[in-house]
Amino acid sequence: MAAPPPIEKSLIQLNDVSKFYGEVLGVNKINLAIPPGITSLVGPNGSGKTTLMNLITGLLQPTRGSIEVCGMTPEDPETFFRNVGYCTQFDSYPKGFTGYDFVYSFLRLFGWDHAECEQRAWRAIDRVNLREAASRKIAGYSKGMRQRIRLAQAISHDPRVLILDEPLNGLDPLVRAETIALFREFSGEGRHVIISSHVLHEVDIISDQVILMSSGYIVAEGQIKGVRSEIEEHPMQVLIRCDRPQALASRIFESNNVVEAKVHGDGGGLLIKTRNADEFYLMMNRIAMNGIMVETVAPVDDDVQSLYEYLIDDGGGGGGSKS
Amino acid sequence: MAVYKRTYKGYEGAQTPEWSRFLILPRYAWESLFKQRFLLIFYVICFFYPIGAGIFLYINANLGMLASLIEGAGNLKGLEIDGKFFYIFSSVQGSLAFILTAFIGPGLISPDLSNSALPLYFCRPFSRTEYVAGKLGVVAFLLSFITWIPGLLLFLLQWSVGPEGWFAKYSWIAPAIFLSNVMWILLISLLALALSAWVRWKVVAGALLLLVFFLSTGLAAAINAVMRTDKGSWLDITSNSGRISLELFRVREFMDYSEGQGISIEEAWVAQFCALGFCLWLLWKKIRAYEVIK
Amino acid sequence: MNPVWLKQISAVLRLEIKKSFFARRGLWIYFLALIPVLIWGGHWMVMRYKAERMHTHAQASPGVTREKLLSIKQGMTTAEVEAILGHPASSRTVTRRNGTEFKYWTYSDGTTTRNITFRDGAVQRLNTEHAACDLQEDTVIFAGIFQFFYLRLAIFFGCMFVFMNLFRGEILDRSLHYYFLAPIRRDVLVVGKYLAGLVATTVIFCLSTIAQWTIFVLHFDPINRDAYLQQNNGFSHLLSYVGVTALACLGYGSVFLAAGILIRNPLITAATVLIWESINGILPAALRQISVIYYLKSLCPVEIPMQQGVPPPVALLAVNVDNAPPIVAVLGLLALSAAVVFISTRRIKRMEINYSTDN
Repeated sequence: MAAPPPIEKSLIQLNDVSKFYGEVLGVNKINLAIPPGITSLVGPNGSGKTTLMNLITGLLQPTRGSIEVCGMTPEDPETFFRNVGYCTQFDSYPKGFTGYDFVYSFLRLFGWDHAECEQRAWRAIDRVNLREAASRKIAGYSKGMRQRIRLAQAISHDPRVLILDEPLNGLDPLVRAETIALFREFSGEGRHVIISSHVLHEVDIISDQVILMSSGYIVAEGQIKGVRSEIEEHPMQVLIRCDRPQALASRIFESNNVVEAKVHGDGGGLLIKTRNADEFYLMMNRIAMNGIMVETVAPVDDDVQSLYEYLIDDGGGGGGSKS
Repeated sequence: MAVYKRTYKGYEGAQTPEWSRFLILPRYAWESLFKQRFLLIFYVICFFYPIGAGIFLYINANLGMLASLIEGAGNLKGLEIDGKFFYIFSSVQGSLAFILTAFIGPGLISPDLSNSALPLYFCRPFSRTEYVAGKLGVVAFLLSFITWIPGLLLFLLQWSVGPEGWFAKYSWIAPAIFLSNVMWILLISLLALALSAWVRWKVVAGALLLLVFFLSTGLAAAINAVMRTDKGSWLDITSNSGRISLELFRVREFMDYSEGQGISIEEAWVAQFCALGFCLWLLWKKIRAYEVIK
Repeated sequence: MNPVWLKQISAVLRLEIKKSFFARRGLWIYFLALIPVLIWGGHWMVMRYKAERMHTHAQASPGVTREKLLSIKQGMTTAEVEAILGHPASSRTVTRRNGTEFKYWTYSDGTTTRNITFRDGAVQRLNTEHAACDLQEDTVIFAGIFQFFYLRLAIFFGCMFVFMNLFRGEILDRSLHYYFLAPIRRDVLVVGKYLAGLVATTVIFCLSTIAQWTIFVLHFDPINRDAYLQQNNGFSHLLSYVGVTALACLGYGSVFLAAGILIRNPLITAATVLIWESINGILPAALRQISVIYYLKSLCPVEIPMQQGVPPPVALLAVNVDNAPPIVAVLGLLALSAAVVFISTRRIKRMEINYSTDN
């Protein structure tokens, strides 16, 4: 087995990438530099997430621009695909294959011998907990099992870059948790894990950074909190649980950055909107030391769900954020 | 106990009459078919020959007038318009009809089958017969406009501009035009539909239609040659269609069928009906509201 | 060659050969290959049946000789025929409604049978059947079926399906990305798939050719069989036919492999190639060489004479043009195939996975 070439660069770089299907826009003017870790692609249907993933893996060729994955390009598939694993959304398989065949035959295309492929195939199948079903035909698999066998195939060659198109679709909660743990393990080793997903709260939990897409454009990219703080049209909301919310409200307007304060319906807290969260938190420290019992201070809308609502539901790109 | 408001109201408006319900399918199919520029251009081209033939018939009937206009054209002699003229017309238009069918036919049923759309049709007041009739109508109506309809119009034109007594002498041509073309249309459209239903793969169904026509001719010739028989011609659907047309247009001299060169005209008719029956049987087997999963 | 490429090609072969041989969708290729075998098999059985029947008839009418059989002429009466040939081996009488009486008598000397039809007691029609096949005629018929049915239709359409299925079929099945996401060069993939298709078609069609030839040889009586094998170079014919079959798979395979990569609709491909190959005989010499059938025809061991009364479309197929010398034909076909496969390897590099537009 030939050793993979040393990978000098560690970024996935897209330079001014556009893809048009005839007159239809796929993605437009994408400039990205994705560092290692878990990166989530978030956006509504047709926003260009799958197109972007297909462009990165060479299944599509950009109409304009260039793409490099850790210094490699799909034009050299022998190097590229030894380092990149892609779990597509295409739910189709070579006819008559069992789960094991599917992973094993893919590995044979790497030029490895039978023993090596067999060992790697079982290891990958074990990692997705599918050993018992591995000898059954894929045609008889449930949706979740098919998703897992595709994942097993994508990780079977131990890639440095793992790209996953809607990998959590169809998985039950237990398997979902295991799969997320697997992604974390991968990213923990300094690898790239790029995920597209609609399940926003999960994206929120697992992502180191997010890329929000809408209508073929990148709307925002970066760490979720960083992106949130850049959205000036929507002041950040913070919920403060305390014993005297009215007193707290009167004190809070000492800060110029607080634009709105509302006593919570249960009377046990205060919901405020601020333009500068960092300064607000500093002020809260001072208030807490001056007689008001503050139980918790928690941001309400610095998750992906809120970003999605502010940047995409509001009309895409409304935030005009850059990180 | 939960109490729900009865808010559901079924559709109470007017329904398409049952007899014409099958026409819904052609109406939508034509709309999407003619969005394809190639098909539209080809369909327009299909009218060139009928228009040319019409002009020819008119000029042929008015040579006297032409002679008076063109100097030295006094010796022009009109062509006798008989079964041969309409046989050639039907053959040319029949070939164009085949090409058109090869493009349209395969895509009619296979997408419904491969996308499991049949239950969507049959869960409505729409029967299998109406479905097949509708799909057949998509092709058959289109083909009629380039085959027997212009053929009959040409016949009427010749009757009106031709010499006296022409209609009395050649009135048999009208049913010949209708019958030979309708048989051909039925054969190629049903075959295209049956293949479309059988392979479920629209691009392959088109190639298969080509294969069936060429293979049936080749197979018949091979059987006839090896077995020293002419019974192999039962399988030759193209030749049998030609045989029927030759008889209907009374132009037997175009092809020599006298000495073991093919089956008899009666056998040719039976063979064609067998082929039609086979296609219908195949459609009946494949067009179902449910799918058998093995 | 890079050893990894060899391993990768063998991995592709392993996957694709299974698909090409056993795909349910492709079972009709076996039918295509089997048709000529069935026709020759049927012919063999008919001839055996005829020979047995003649033998029975000969036993039933002893004393009948070939000369006596051929001496029967139209217009003879039943009594005159009976005087020459004796009691018929089999007889049947039919009386029509209008009172006309038809008698059907059969005589045989064991090698020739004469069926005599009497109308109102006089010979109206004579039909002669021979037990032995005509060696020359059958050899030409075999060559005709091989060229016009087997090469131009069965192998043509068989290769079309197998080789177009290699890429276009995968796109329709939405499974091509399986290969495109593996660390295998796309040109290596093309070679692997092409070889897989070639193995499958060559095995299927060459076996059929051998079976056809075997039945063809077996259906002769021992004398004709020896004559065919010894004097007519029967075995060299077999080698030529098998070689031409393999080269046909190679040539048509390359064309349809390229078509599967370049063109979406196989109908257009099939029609274009079919027409191009059919009009090969009337093309200018330079264009004629850019076709598969030109080389294949040059390598066929038996020339097919043009018969009178052949319908125009068939006559077009049978136009005899100057044949290329065998070595030129083989090298020409190999060069043509290599060129077409090379074009495919270039084109595949720009291929994209965009399944939605292909259904």
